[in-house]
Order: sequence, then C-alpha cells, then structure tokens
Amino acid sequence: MQEPTFLILTALAAGAQHGYGIMSDVARISDGRVRLRAGTLYAALDRLKADGMVSSDKEEVVDGRLRRYYRITDEGTAQLAAEVRRIRANAAVAASRLGLAGGTL
Amino acid sequence: MTWSVELEGRPGGRPARRRTRMERRYRRLLTLYPKAHRREHAEEMIGVLFAAADYDARVRAPKPVAWALRSGQHVADCADLVAGAARIRGRMLVNRVKQATRSSWMVRDPRWSDALAVISVIAPVLLLVAALAEFHLPQAVASSVTGHPHWRLTAALGLGDLPLAAGAPAVAALALLRLRRLAGLGALAVAIGQVVAAVQRPDSPITGYASPVVAFTVLLACTAAAALLLSPGPGRGLALLTRGGAALIGAGALILGGFSVGGNVWLDSRSGFTKDLGSEVTGLPGDLLIAAVLVAAAAGCLRAPVSRRVLVLLAIPVIPYAIWWQEKLASDLFGQDAGASASIASSLPLLYLPPLLLAGVIVAGTWLARRRAVRQGRPASAAGPRSAVSA
Repeated sequence: MQEPTFLILTALAAGAQHGYGIMSDVARISDGRVRLRAGTLYAALDRLKADGMVSSDKEEVVDGRLRRYYRITDEGTAQLAAEVRRIRANAAVAASRLGLAGGTL
Repeated sequence: MTWSVELEGRPGGRPARRRTRMERRYRRLLTLYPKAHRREHAEEMIGVLFAAADYDARVRAPKPVAWALRSGQHVADCADLVAGAARIRGRMLVNRVKQATRSSWMVRDPRWSDALAVISVIAPVLLLVAALAEFHLPQAVASSVTGHPHWRLTAALGLGDLPLAAGAPAVAALALLRLRRLAGLGALAVAIGQVVAAVQRPDSPITGYASPVVAFTVLLACTAAAALLLSPGPGRGLALLTRGGAALIGAGALILGGFSVGGNVWLDSRSGFTKDLGSEVTGLPGDLLIAAVLVAAAAGCLRAPVSRRVLVLLAIPVIPYAIWWQEKLASDLFGQDAGASASIASSLPLLYLPPLLLAGVIVAGTWLARRRAVRQGRPASAAGPRSAVSA
C-alpha cells in the first residue's frame, strides 16, 4: 500500500470526511510531511472507490460549493488493519536489529 | 474542519478577478479528466482547490514573498491536476485492455460459459479417473477385494505413460486449487504428451492414434483445457453444481473406473484363460448399474439449459469411449479380438471425426446465435441460471 493511500484510509478511519478535510488530516497525521493536492487526492479516491475500500457518504453545499463526504468501508478497514500489522512487524524487526530499546514498538 | 474562504474580495476587485482567472484555469484543466469523473467530482474538486488556496493565502509574509508562495502553490496544484487526470485515464486504459484481453478469450454466452465452467470441474476429475483406470488401480483394488487373480497394477511405467500418469493428477490438483489457467495449460500439455507418446510407440503411429484409449484421453484433455481456459473455471463450476451435478460427476467417475473394473473382470480371451460364463455374468450387473446411473443423471440434466450443454460438451470425449467400450464387450463377451472383429472397428476417422464435428457444430451454432442476437439488437442470451443441474 502506498503512503498516500495509507494516510487517506487512516484519515477516514476516524470517521467520514470531505475532500479538504482529508487533505488537512493527512497533513496533520504526517506532521506536515505529506501534502496531498486535489489531483492526487481524487485520483486516489477514485481508485479506492473502485477497489471497494472507500464509499461516498452524504453531500452538502457550503458557500455555493458542493462538499461530498467519504467513508471507509469494511474492506478498507480490513486492508488498513492488515497494513498496520505488516508495518508493525517490519518496524519491530528493524528496531530489534538496531538494538533500539525493547526491540518492539 | 473549517471551510475558510477569506479571499472572496469585493466583486470586481483584484482578489475576485484573480479568483475568476484561477477558476477558469482549473475548469480548463478539469476537461482533461474523463467525462463521468468530471460530472461527479468537478465542483467538489474546485471547492477543495480554493479551500487549499485560501489556506495558503493566510500565511503572513512580505507581499512579494506571499505572491511567490501563492503562485508556486497554484502552479503545483495545476500540475497535480494534470498528473491526476493522467493517472485516472491510464488506469482506465489498463482496465479496458485487461477487459478486452479477458473477454476475447472467454466464451460470452453465459449458458455456454457456465456449461464450460461445470466441465472444468468434471473433465479434470474424469481425466484423473481415466489415468487411474489406465494404470489398473481400480482393477487392482477390485481384484484385491474379490480375490480375482486377473488384474494387478501396471508394474513399470514407461516414458510414454508419463503425460497421463503425472499430468492427470497435476491437472486435477491445479483445478481443485482454482489455478484455472495453469490447469488449462497442464491439460493441453497432457493432450500433446499423449499424442507424442502415441507416435513414440513401437507399433505404427496410426495404431497409436487409432486406439480408442488414446483418442479418449486426448479429447478429454482437450475438452478440459478448453473448459479451463475459456470459462470462469472451477470456482464458478462448483458454485453451479448442486447435488444433481455432484451425482453427474460421480456417474462420470463410475462409468470410467467401473466399466474398466466391470468390463475387465470378464476373463480376457487373449490372456489364455478359459472363458467362464459365471465371471462374465458377474461383471454385467455392475455395468448395467453404471449405465442406469448415467442415463438417470443425463435425463435429470436435460431439464436445465446449462446441463444440456454440459452433456453435449461431455459427448466430445465420450464418443471414442463408447467405441472403446463396444470393442471391450466384443472382445471380452464374444471372444473377438479388440478392434479387429468388433461390430464397429475403431479407426482414425471414426474416433476423431464425430467429436471434431460435434465441436465444430457447437462453435458454429453459438457464433450464428450471437450474430442473430446482435442483428436483432438483444443480448446473446438471458443471464445464466443459478444452478447448472436441477436436482
């Protein structure tokens, strides 16, 4: 799973969000390191929707602009959980080989 | 999450004019996206782009720096829009190519596709049973159970036996593991291997090909390969098979293994044993029972359209098998030499022509049906039934 996908699913794991909400949340989660732009975000959402990991939620109009919310599906949650387990296992091995405290994270 | 819009500006003022220019640019770039995506997301994306621009505009900095910052972000957003459109269109193209590649190889008529999917389960099983029967495994088991001394396992397997001995179990295992393409290619390899093995035999190639056993296994392997490569495969086939379908597979397996056992426990006249009417008769009820099961299964299957197609497809390898069986009967029951004085002597055209003609009729018939359906502007057939075999 690529990092933007992982971060988008992580942002949506807390609840349904609209496009700009996801962008801001991803920036916050990655501590400002990853800045998603509209083109990247909507290409990723398009793919995630096609893969059944994300679905459209409610819509509203704010300041004359359409705002659509997205939420993570059960499939998306399962994929994210699997990725978390994979990253955690890899990080634990890396930490133990580096001799970092505890060897597990 | 706040949706801040700070750059509204007075109508006709500089920020408003800049905003109009930005929006026009965004809309122009959004035309790069597929129509469906644009219809669904264009307004939403423009909202997100302006929200991000508004956030960047909040940065407090000297005017030239703020302008450079805003312009830089705007250019980056425009470039990202182009990249996003390329990504979505690229993905669509890949999907379309995949779809075209897949559909060009798959049978489109859902009834034939489902029938082939059912065959992709049955044919590998029959191939396995045929291999076991070829190497006398069921016969050896029957001999050990009945105490009949006549049959034992084929002692030494030659190189010519390898395609069937190794190939049939491999194809059945791959089909069971739902590795459709690998199993299909494996079945094709078995068919080619059988043909090559027939050429390598010490007797003439014609005798090798003209053997009903070879014709049966070659055509069965070809049918299995076609079913595995041209249909959704054993996954769909198993989903379609009900208890009636399982009975059909059982009958198929029985007919192969059982005919060999039942037919061959009659003393073979060529082996020098004295013919014994008692052992001839003991073999007969088994055959009659198997034939009755097959006829019952076939009659049950004739009710569903997919099942009818399953039976037609199964007839392709069964034609040489029927000739094999009548030769066996002629040889065992009436003491005639196999092939030589049987009522229908096997020959190359007799073994291969009817199955090939049948396959040709199926292909031509489905092609004509599809053409007629296209001309009449309706789909080739209705959606496939839920179950292939009505139990």
